[in-house]
This record gives sequence, structure tokens and C-alpha cells, in this order.
Amino acid sequence: MPDTLIPPKPITSALDSRFKPSLYARVGIPNSFSLESYQAGGGYQALRRAFAIGNDAVIDEMKKSGLRGRGGAGFPTGLKWSFMPLKDGKQHYVICNADESEPGSFKDRYLMTEDPHQMLEGMIIAGFAMRASMGYIYIRGEYVLAAERVWAAIHDARVAGLLGKNILGSGFDFDLQVHRGAGAYICGEETALMNSLEGLRANPRLKPPFPAQAGIYGLPTTINNVESFCAATQIIRYGWEWYSSMGTEKSKGNKLFQISGPVQRPGVFELPLGATFREMIFDFAGGPLEPIKAIIPGGSSTPMMPWTDTVLDAPMDYESITAQGSMLGTGGLILIPQNYCIVNATWNLVRFYAHESCGKCTPCREGIGGWMVKMYEKLVRGQGKPGDVELILDMSDNIGGKSFCALADACLGPVLSSIKLFRSEYDYLIANGKSQYGGSSRWAD
Amino acid sequence: MLYFTDKQTQLADIFSRYPHTEQGRRSALMPLLREVQNALGHVPEENIAEIAALIGSTATEVKSVMSFYSTYHTTPTGKWHLQVCATLSCAIAGSDELWDYLVDELGIGAGEVTPDGLFSIQKVECLGSCGTAPMIQVSDVGFSECITRRKMRTQLEQLRAGANYLPDTVVPVFIQDGQQLNALEQKIGGKYSELEPLKF
Repeated sequence: MPDTLIPPKPITSALDSRFKPSLYARVGIPNSFSLESYQAGGGYQALRRAFAIGNDAVIDEMKKSGLRGRGGAGFPTGLKWSFMPLKDGKQHYVICNADESEPGSFKDRYLMTEDPHQMLEGMIIAGFAMRASMGYIYIRGEYVLAAERVWAAIHDARVAGLLGKNILGSGFDFDLQVHRGAGAYICGEETALMNSLEGLRANPRLKPPFPAQAGIYGLPTTINNVESFCAATQIIRYGWEWYSSMGTEKSKGNKLFQISGPVQRPGVFELPLGATFREMIFDFAGGPLEPIKAIIPGGSSTPMMPWTDTVLDAPMDYESITAQGSMLGTGGLILIPQNYCIVNATWNLVRFYAHESCGKCTPCREGIGGWMVKMYEKLVRGQGKPGDVELILDMSDNIGGKSFCALADACLGPVLSSIKLFRSEYDYLIANGKSQYGGSSRWAD
Repeated sequence: MLYFTDKQTQLADIFSRYPHTEQGRRSALMPLLREVQNALGHVPEENIAEIAALIGSTATEVKSVMSFYSTYHTTPTGKWHLQVCATLSCAIAGSDELWDYLVDELGIGAGEVTPDGLFSIQKVECLGSCGTAPMIQVSDVGFSECITRRKMRTQLEQLRAGANYLPDTVVPVFIQDGQQLNALEQKIGGKYSELEPLKF
């Protein structure tokens, strides 16, 4: 076979000379959030290309790119877009889920504060592809600067004719509005987000009907994460071939990975899917500052993984992390140091989920919000008794898969994995009334 | 005291963001609550009734929504409402000690206001700034990130002296001049403006 027919090796490392960051490429450039700066860097070329190739071709290209939703669930974005009814004559909505509240995740905030037009462009392209005329950006209430920058970006885009009637002379009408949340993790669940936007308590809705059939105000709606919209901009700008040249067989493209915990340089890094944990933690974050015992790979709801060579050399893509017993999630790594009590760390997350449980269904409200958090409080106070861990496992068995939405299952991620990997710490704490690890004076002067 | 009586333009602007239907009107609830809270520091009973009337709902329904979220207050907060993120990444970086410091230094607990009316404190869940832990949010203004004991002390002193609060705008990514840096701070990848699709 001639050389030219051999497909090039996919890019699975950010150190590969062929890899070029695109999503965060403009973060850190002075004034990167302004329309002038964005357009000087070639901004809104993707939108022009979308108008040139037509809406069906845009959906087709999104499907071919292999992009999977970057909000955590990993559902193929192109497929999701194709679920929207095409000729029903109703108003369609596009919603951007910017309610980033999964502990360990902080990529979307900088996308919005540093490069809001990239997200807007992706949303306009999505609106064009899905025949929508209106879009909402649901930004979590605490992101003040992000909301300001996105408002300003929308204003500038309207003035420049990039939003509103007959965008760039294409005949396509589309407008955007910002809706700010008020502090509730559950609003990241798409149907809860829609309830919140409608001015209701943010309880999740029963599916089906799915949002593409009956979403906000009962009309066809598609919700994507901020990073997914930004990726759409890049895919339409550079083509699906470029995008799918990065990543592994089933996990295409690049992704923003975040890292927090005791490392030299915590932060956000853009890597192709399939890059290893080692590359992320050592080459980019500069390595740990103290011994580490566990890695949470993709935000708080993904099960903990042990600090071993097998895990460190595992590629970060949807399939490989699942094979290791965890999930890629939002790509938010949290490193837990050796001398931080794992029961305390798990209690911290259980408390988070107990606080954020919406109270709609019994397994979550009573199971997580009541029993689970009380069991952990008892353990960390040193009042645990033999048999408590078995009780937690039994409770987990009665919660898992039985709740209305994924929140209760998300809480079981850290609970079950910490017991599986660090059972001895639980036993020590129960037997001795205190942890073998101190937890104090970590705060720097 | 009614809040929106003399703010008809602002009201019209908020309602214009949503469809002109009954459902659309209700969507204005959260922006209206935020307006009142930003101005008064909390949402008093009579304004809850006012907002309910504006969106065609009842005070009970409005309270039901308010109680769902963690950032609405029905009782007064301090001029500077300090919200300490207590979730895992911040906890590992010392948010428990930061909280204890604030309790000691200000002499108040959660939900209380200092006698001078300047400060109130609240423990909140993940604020999406894990890379710059520990961190706090100050009122509805912005984030203070990478907080050390010294930084917190200085900030309290400045706010006590009447200074205005300036949030941080830290960007914790190692990208310089449009390029990612590796561990050796060597530039890798290319510039955005030079980005071209790969040829096959």
C-alpha cells in the first residue's frame, strides 16, 4: 500500500508537534474578550462558513467530527442536534448550560470571561443548524464577571449585525439573552435548568418528553455545555477532519482538562483526548507538591482512582477511564494528598450532595440528604461503630439507580470508590476514634 | 417600601428578555429577585409580595423558589457578605482554617452580621474556582482567589477602612501570548491566528 493511503497517527498528546490548542488559544491575550480582538484572530469565520454550507451540512459535519458533550455526560453533540424537529413550524430554542458547578470544574468560567465570542459564535451556528430563533445562556449566579463579559459580547455582536435580524445578510434571525442562576448545583441538569429558567423551583422533569420534543416553554430545545459550543465553533471553522485527527477511536477531539489540589501549577490545560494522566499532572501541572493517594478524574461525581502507574499511564478518554472504573466527566481532576483523611474528603463531597439534593425523590432526599450525610458526620466525629461501613454500603445499594435524576448516583461515586480503595482508613477511624491523618494547618500564611 | 415603582424602564428591560406570555412573565422572577437583593442586601417580605404581583404569582410561590437557592436572603446581610467555598479542592487548600479565622476575627457565625453592619459570613458549596483555592466570593461583586492568611487580613483591613472591594481576575492557565506552556515553560503548539486545518 502506498504511504499516502496510510491514515496519519491520531494526535493523542499535547506535546505532539501537530497539536495546536484552539479552545483556550486566546486565553491570556490582553483584551481577548473584545469583539475586535476576536475578529482579528479570525473570529466569526466559522459562522460565515456555516451560512455558506447550509444548516443540514452543519449538523452533518458535527456528527462526523465525533464531538461528545463536554458537560460531563459525553452524549454525541451532532446526534443531539439532529433530534430537533425540522419542519414543525414552532419556535426552537438553544440553551447554553453555563451553570458550571461540578466541584473540580472551572473551565467554562474562563471561556466566558476570556473568550465569550467563541461561545456566542457556536450558539449562533447551533441556532442556524437547528432552526432556532432564540437562545438563552444560563450562567450560574456566582459568575459575576462572566455574566458581565457575556452581556457585553452580546451587545457588541448585536451592534455588529452578528445577532438579530438577517445576520450577515443570510436571512437568518437569531438573538441571545443571559439568564443568571442563584446557586443550585441541580440547575446543571438540563430539565432542572429549564424549570429554573421558567421561574420555578429547579426540580428535574420527567423524561420523556426529551427537551428536543418539549423543552423550555414546552417548545423544542437543545441544551449544550459552554465548551461544546466553543468546540462547535472550532469544528465548523477548521472542518471535522481536523477535529477528528485528534483523540482516540471513539473519543475525538481536544478537551479542556482542569486540575486542582496540591500540584505545582493548578489550572486549565487543553489536551487532545487520549493524553495520559501523567502528561496532564507532570508535564503540564508540574507534578504534585506532596505525596498523592487518589485522583478524582472528572469532577466530584466520578469515582476516585488510586495513584498508581497503571492509572497514571492510562489515556484520558471516555472509554479508557470507564475501563479503569471511573468516568471522564467534566475533565476536572482533583488530587487528594496522602495525609488528607479520605473519610473527611468523602464527607466533604457527601455534604455537598446532601446540600444540593433538590428534595424531589425519596432515595436522594432521605438517602443522601438525610442518612448518608449523618453517617459520615458520625464517622468524621470519631463516633463510628463497627458495621457502619456495611450500613453505608447497604444504603448505597438502596439508593443507586433508584433516584429520579443522576444526583444521588453521583454522590455514590466518591462514597463507593473511597470505601473500595481506602477501606483501611475507615476501619482505623472507627477503631481509634480519630483519623491517622491530621487535616489542619494546610492554609498558607 | 416598593422597589420597582420608579424603575419602569428597568422592569421593561427585564421582561423583554422573555416571551410575552404568562410563562415568559414568570421567567423574570430570578432577575427581579436579584435586582432587589443587590440594592438592599436581602429581599424583604413586602418586596416578595411586590415581585409576586409583577410576575402574576403568589408570595408563597416566590418564597418557594427563593428557598431553593442558596444566594437569596430574607434577612439583612452585612455590607460585605463573605461566602467561603467549603468544597473539596478548597478544603484541601485550607478553607476550614480560613473559615475559623473569619469567625475568630469578625466574632460572628454563619447568618450573623457584625455590629458595625460591615460583614456577614456564609459557607457555600463549590464556586467554580478550584484552581485558585482557597477562595471566597464577596457579595455579588466577585471572587478573591488564592487566599492566604495575610491576604485575608489585608482585605478585611481595607474594607473596614472604607475601601471599595476589588475582585481578582486570576487566569490560572499557563498560556502566554496565545500559546500553552509545558512544565519547563517552553511554548508548545501554535498561535490562534496561525491555526490552519491539518492537511491529509
